[in-house]
Amino acid sequence: MIELRNVWRLYRMGDETINALAGIDLEISQGEFISIVGPSGSGKSTLLNIIGGLDSPTTGTVVVDGQNLSKASDRELSLYRNKKVGFVFQTFNLQPTYTALENVALPLVFAKVPLRKRNEIARDTLETVELAERLGHTPGQLSGGERQRVAIARALVNDPRILLADEPTGNLDSRTSELIVELLQRLSKERGITMLLVTHEMMIAEHANRVIHMLDGQIARSTERK
Amino acid sequence: MTIRDLLRNAFSNLRRRKLRSFLTIFAVVIGAALVSLLVSLGVGAQEFLTAQIRATMPPDVLMVGSNPNAFQIGFGAMGFGGSPEEITDDEGSPYSLAPLTPQEIESVRALEHVERVDPYIMVSADSVRLQNSEKRFRTQLTALPDYLITSKELVAGRYLNDDSQGECIIANQYLESFNFDRAEDALGQEVVIQVGQITSFIGLPTKTKDYTFEIVGVAEKTLSSTQIMISIEDGKEIARFWANEPELYTDEVPPAILQVKVEDSQYADQVAEAVEDLDLGALTSADVLGLVGDIFTIIQAVLSVFGLIALGVASLGIINTLIMAIYERTREIGVMKAVGASQGTVRRLFTTEGAAIGFLGGVIGVAIGYGLGFIINQVSHSTFLADFETFNISVFPWWLIVGVIALSTLIALLAALYPAHRASRLDPIEALRYE
Ligand SMILES: Nc1ncnc2c1ncn2[C@@H]1O[C@H](COP(=O)(O)OP(=O)(O)OP(=O)(O)O)[C@@H](O)[C@H]1O
Ligand SMILES: [Mg+2]
Repeated sequence: MIELRNVWRLYRMGDETINALAGIDLEISQGEFISIVGPSGSGKSTLLNIIGGLDSPTTGTVVVDGQNLSKASDRELSLYRNKKVGFVFQTFNLQPTYTALENVALPLVFAKVPLRKRNEIARDTLETVELAERLGHTPGQLSGGERQRVAIARALVNDPRILLADEPTGNLDSRTSELIVELLQRLSKERGITMLLVTHEMMIAEHANRVIHMLDGQIARSTERK
Repeated sequence: MTIRDLLRNAFSNLRRRKLRSFLTIFAVVIGAALVSLLVSLGVGAQEFLTAQIRATMPPDVLMVGSNPNAFQIGFGAMGFGGSPEEITDDEGSPYSLAPLTPQEIESVRALEHVERVDPYIMVSADSVRLQNSEKRFRTQLTALPDYLITSKELVAGRYLNDDSQGECIIANQYLESFNFDRAEDALGQEVVIQVGQITSFIGLPTKTKDYTFEIVGVAEKTLSSTQIMISIEDGKEIARFWANEPELYTDEVPPAILQVKVEDSQYADQVAEAVEDLDLGALTSADVLGLVGDIFTIIQAVLSVFGLIALGVASLGIINTLIMAIYERTREIGVMKAVGASQGTVRRLFTTEGAAIGFLGGVIGVAIGYGLGFIINQVSHSTFLADFETFNISVFPWWLIVGVIALSTLIALLAALYPAHRASRLDPIEALRYE
């Protein structure tokens, strides 16, 4: 479903060239739950951003569902992000002036879903993350765990095929982290969503059925679990 | 993103920073108020002048002169712009007119759609006084065919017809000069009009003659405050004395200018062309109104420059506001891109926000301009324009209201293009990391 062939992502800093990704080959099938671990600066976020269509490889090809992202235009990529993927970030990245409901509905705004319809869908999605009674709250009025659940609802609202979570528990305490990861795991299982989860904590990585270890922009090791 | 959502987003962003939005919009308001008020004053003056021209020259009447240049109007004829025109003998000069020939008059009369043809009577009187009074007043004596007289409004009395003799209609302002409390009091009174021969203009000794007229009507108030209207026949008689030419307006000395009434105003241009084909000059009221329109277009353009400068300055404020907004909302823009906003969508978000500022500023500005115009009209009607109740100095036609709102919206939208471009080019990853 996701296929990366010899993907490089270079950053030029003056005379120096940084290889954020250095020749990644990766295949992921539909419905897999994958954890990506590795030291800081090893290229985990870069890999996720490229799969999510937020960034493009310097060389190499990225094909998702038959669509070649490395050759896609801005319009095609934005459509891809809107329909196919959901992002969950460490820093939540909710719109501060929007209510929980409006935040969750945001992807539907760009999908041109009319107001009433998208509020309905957003309300249902907030229910699946058990936040139905918080939909009028702004992010400032929510706890960290609640904010991340709103962000997860936003990532799910367009019924994506892929969920990309970049250290989603990085700003949460361990008990809340556990709940969030269980939620992600349940959702991916129920809906058959392909999950990519970047994390530092082995405890969390354990939930996945494949753990990818990254080092210096390369995949150092890949461990399958049952 | 739908237009509805673009607008929703724009207005909710304006509400977020109320003071800043207010100040930015306020600058547009000043520009829009200035443009609309200044142009409305120009429109008011133009409407007034147009109404005055219509009153003396209805659309179904044209003037015919004995040479094609008789009515050359416009900047060229006034002598500015361009080198002096050569005058060829057969064309004559625009400043002197030879009499028409009886044949020419007959061929004008024979033209299709021509209803009637009258000489344009030129007379001049020295003064007017009431029969039993010594107080003399200035006057502008006008001899008109009855259809032009009946096109004026009367406040008392009746109209003249073409056979009227020794009857006149006086301008409203004479009521005050002659000390009549009510217009009806003037009816039946007699006035004495003293006419001096034309040679008096160049200081030669002249004869004068008194003509007595009965007042049968009092006109509504117009700008022609000294006008006394008499019938064409009376006018001819006075003109013959005034010009010292007993044969004037006969086949011996035909008139130089004719007043031609056509069957309907729709034929005015057609008849004018036919007249020009006869190698004569023609002037329609559309010609005159066209010239007035041209002049006022220039005046309005010059007036609106001040407002346009204000709008230009306001657009700098809009650029500034939107660029500040990009810094404030960098992360939000990143989020929007991450969940599916394309570069085009982000661009539209910002241009819509700019246009919303321009639209609000335009609406409020026009409302304020309209309000100021209303106050000016009220004040002027109770002071120096008390006699002209139907004349408004400030007039807001629909095109001015729509035009100024559209203009402010457009200028604001143009100002938003650069910030919108910058916002659309933000790298989503960096935007999401932005603190
Ligand atoms: N915009 C950039 N300009 C220059 N170098 C960059 C840029 N973005 C990332 N890098 C470099 O690319 C490498 C990979 O970065 P990346 O963010 O993918 O690491 P990461 O594995 O996610 O690290 P962390 O665990 O700290 O989030 C790093 O060395 C980083 O410094
Ligand atoms: Mg990272």
